[in-house]
Amino acid sequence: MLVLSRKLNQAIMIGDDVRIVVVAVDRDTVKLGIEAPRTIPVHRSEVYDEIQRTNRAAAGETEQPPGEGAKVADLGGKGRKPTTKG
Amino acid sequence: MEFADREIALDLPRFGACTYRESEVLMFPWGLPGFATLRRFVALSLDGQEKFIWLQSLDDLSIALPTADPWQIFDDYAPQLPPYASSSLDLVRPEDFVTLCVVVVSPGAEEMTMNLLAPVVINLVTRTGRQVTLETGGYSVRTPIPRKAPSSAGAQGS
Repeated sequence: MLVLSRKLNQAIMIGDDVRIVVVAVDRDTVKLGIEAPRTIPVHRSEVYDEIQRTNRAAAGETEQPPGEGAKVADLGGKGRKPTTKG
Repeated sequence: MEFADREIALDLPRFGACTYRESEVLMFPWGLPGFATLRRFVALSLDGQEKFIWLQSLDDLSIALPTADPWQIFDDYAPQLPPYASSSLDLVRPEDFVTLCVVVVSPGAEEMTMNLLAPVVINLVTRTGRQVTLETGGYSVRTPIPRKAPSSAGAQGS
């Protein structure tokens, strides 16, 4: 892992379009500002870890009765939708 | 459609014999969290369990994730997709995509939860999907599914 020291208000560039700035430092908490293109998801890694665990649990733990007559589902386009922004 | 769309037969560890067509394959170019290397899936339904859609991996046949339409259970679910989701999946017309949420059934089916925080969004035109983490709404990764949910048809009694 690459380790860099940064002071308050200093930044790190990742590639050409992701910029991470140290916005505040208070005891053991560091506030980071992240500028990234809207096409790149940015999340706290605990959230991602939790989704990973849940997916593995869904695939592993789920004890459905042995499936019968598996066929490709008709996903249709009907039904409710999320809203999109941007 | 005129192009040759072969029917392919599978023998799935979980569901047994099944066939699908090349045109029915769903691509997950970013994988799924926890299964980052798996790219090709088909959506399967089973007799008598029509409420569930199984995302069956074609790259690793032992992997299948149960999902369901979140609005079957949570009528007031109102996810707002972040911009990266719409742009990476080319979401334009609402009728062109579907939203499914991963379901975890605990051993013995004592408890079921649904991941409302990270819905799986699939563009049906490009047949491309992605699991999207919502940035708003305060949804949980393991939202308990109430016992009377429509997916648990039959005698619940006592």
